[in-house]
Amino acid sequence: MTVEFARGKSYVVDRGKPKTRAGQGMLAGLDVVIRHFFSAFGKKVETQADTSGVFTVQYPEERLELPQAFRNFPILLFDDATGHELCTSCFQCERICPPQVIHMSQATDPVTGKAIPAVKEFVIEYDACMSCGLCAEVCPFDAIKMDHEFELATSDHLSMTVDKAGLDRPISYYQAIAPRFWEEAKDSALKKLAGNMKRRSGNIGITPSFIGKAQKAAPAAAKAVSAATPAVAAKPATPPAPIGKNMSEDKLARLVAIRAANAGGAPAAVAAPVAAAADVDHGGAEVAAPVAAAPVRTAPSGGTSAALSTGVPFNADNILGGVPENTAMVEDKIERLKSIRSGNIGKGE
Amino acid sequence: MPQNSKLIVNAMLKTQELQLNIGPQHPSTHGVFRLIVTVDGETVIDLKPVFGYLHRNHEQLGEVSTYIQSMPFTDRLDYFNSMANNFGLSIAVEKLAGIEVPQRANYIRVLMAELTRILNHAAAVAFMINDMGAWQTPLAYGMREREKILDLFEMASGARMMCNYFRFGGVVRDLPPEFMPQLHDLMRGLPTFFDEFERLLRENEILMLRSQGVGILPKELAASYSVTGPVLRASGIAYDIRKAEPYSVYDELDFDVPIGSVGDVYDRFLIRIEEMRQSYRLVQQIIERLPDTTGGHINPAMANIGKQKALRPPAGDAYGRVESPKGELGFYLVSDGSTRPYRYKVRAPSFINLTPLGDMCRGHKVADVVVILGSIDIVMGEVDR
Repeated sequence: MTVEFARGKSYVVDRGKPKTRAGQGMLAGLDVVIRHFFSAFGKKVETQADTSGVFTVQYPEERLELPQAFRNFPILLFDDATGHELCTSCFQCERICPPQVIHMSQATDPVTGKAIPAVKEFVIEYDACMSCGLCAEVCPFDAIKMDHEFELATSDHLSMTVDKAGLDRPISYYQAIAPRFWEEAKDSALKKLAGNMKRRSGNIGITPSFIGKAQKAAPAAAKAVSAATPAVAAKPATPPAPIGKNMSEDKLARLVAIRAANAGGAPAAVAAPVAAAADVDHGGAEVAAPVAAAPVRTAPSGGTSAALSTGVPFNADNILGGVPENTAMVEDKIERLKSIRSGNIGKGE
Repeated sequence: MPQNSKLIVNAMLKTQELQLNIGPQHPSTHGVFRLIVTVDGETVIDLKPVFGYLHRNHEQLGEVSTYIQSMPFTDRLDYFNSMANNFGLSIAVEKLAGIEVPQRANYIRVLMAELTRILNHAAAVAFMINDMGAWQTPLAYGMREREKILDLFEMASGARMMCNYFRFGGVVRDLPPEFMPQLHDLMRGLPTFFDEFERLLRENEILMLRSQGVGILPKELAASYSVTGPVLRASGIAYDIRKAEPYSVYDELDFDVPIGSVGDVYDRFLIRIEEMRQSYRLVQQIIERLPDTTGGHINPAMANIGKQKALRPPAGDAYGRVESPKGELGFYLVSDGSTRPYRYKVRAPSFINLTPLGDMCRGHKVADVVVILGSIDIVMGEVDR
């Protein structure tokens, strides 16, 4: 029955005992389940292979680190200092896009009517985008990149057609989410941008949020580009960084600390690093500060990312003791809920 | 036996056959899939699978897209194994255009394909057990392992399921530095998972009663339906494209082909667990050899995506096939020398493995239909395309 192959053979799988026994097989299976059940107590997760302990990630507050290669929807990059977009409207991405959701038009000189290496309008239909990443791959100017933002659920369908104002992100933002990829692309991208900036005039090729602000003259552009690269101060809305990948025994205490920090009125400080979150007293406000002061981070649309910071924030009150305001609950039920929750917290500690 | 009892019952009582629809929207049909079942009491007299509810025009889309544009669409065929689908299209196009693949790229490809097989079989067995009524526990175990592999895919390709990782002549980018440590870590945990999973389910009396002797697909019938993959091997035919027509670097790697003896649901379950073990062996060999491989992650001539985009294979046709976890996945391409294929045809294993469902179910109870369907391991995205 067995067949010999070049490197290997075929073999017949053993079907085991023909007769079913009186439940020993089920007991053996139950044994596995029980072992897993007990290993869930007290066992810490050190590595991926060892996920038999408790490895729940408290999602909104606590996040796993996304790999740099992660891709969700495309964004356009612009230079931090001058606001010049890297895009030159070469139409490569529009052509390669398999579901054909990218649309753009080329900027022209208002006087001569000649084409300028800058993009006039740029629209991506996020609702039909399939996140394949071919646009980012094909872009010769590294102007279009894949974002790590994935919480884009919205009830407003039309808001998923995103224009330049919603697509533009500073280079420093991309550098923060994918440092290795930007490092590879940096030199050629900035060199090409400097060349293209010389051929632009006025507001052409400037990201919408920069228009109207004081702009540096075109000749100074080359310098500005190089100045923008490290951009530590202008850290944009920090990409979701992990609070701590592994759950430790003081996890609950830490979560309470984060929630207390969030209650200070700051937008959900999802990116708060462990150390900052641990000492709540003075750390809370500082953690939130860079997030709140993030420059020109236009939300992809009115109702999507904005909801992250303005809609129902996770604060200590509505998780630990309080209930959402609009919930119709009778008084004693609220009290009961509070006591249960505080009791649970006590147990955890 | 069922035929016999039916005759006796018919002689004693006047029964009436009843036509019943399972699906198109039904949780146990693994997607939008309809079964027209003719039952006599609880016994299935006839069964007709009806599909096409998830038709997405994949082949026609392939004919209006350039070759590289089809790559992300193949992810959506069998969305559990996007890497295997990418592999199939890459092989077909490389055959058509005569593109060489460097050794390292080949090893990365096979690594991804075998990881895909492990995750598919873990999920397939888990869902099959789920169909039997063992709700949640085995499913959670299988899905846990799948998640770990998806993490690796996300690291390498950027997406968990819609990987779009392969390019003609290689893969889109090399493995990131953090990939190998995590792969080692995964490999450390996998044997425990296989043993545990088997211990959990293999001798479970309920599983044995529900699966042994159920949905038998005899060798001859399987061959005449051109069934492939684990379903065919469970029927006792040692046919594996990795052995029959080795592609990529499978001829340099050692692995065995498990086959079944009866061809019932239980055999399909065992085969999948054994195949996971064989895939584990393959991944081990690849990990050993990957540092010594030559060449980059992609053929330098094709490294620029502009080359991929403007690919104009010479006029002619090519059929590239891979052993996807579900069976033979083939892409038939006809080129007229332009940037788009003249004809783009997918031979989907799920679709062809589904056709003998009626023969497998006839004579069994309605509850068995769900189990048999689960044991074929179909994904409607691939059946309907």
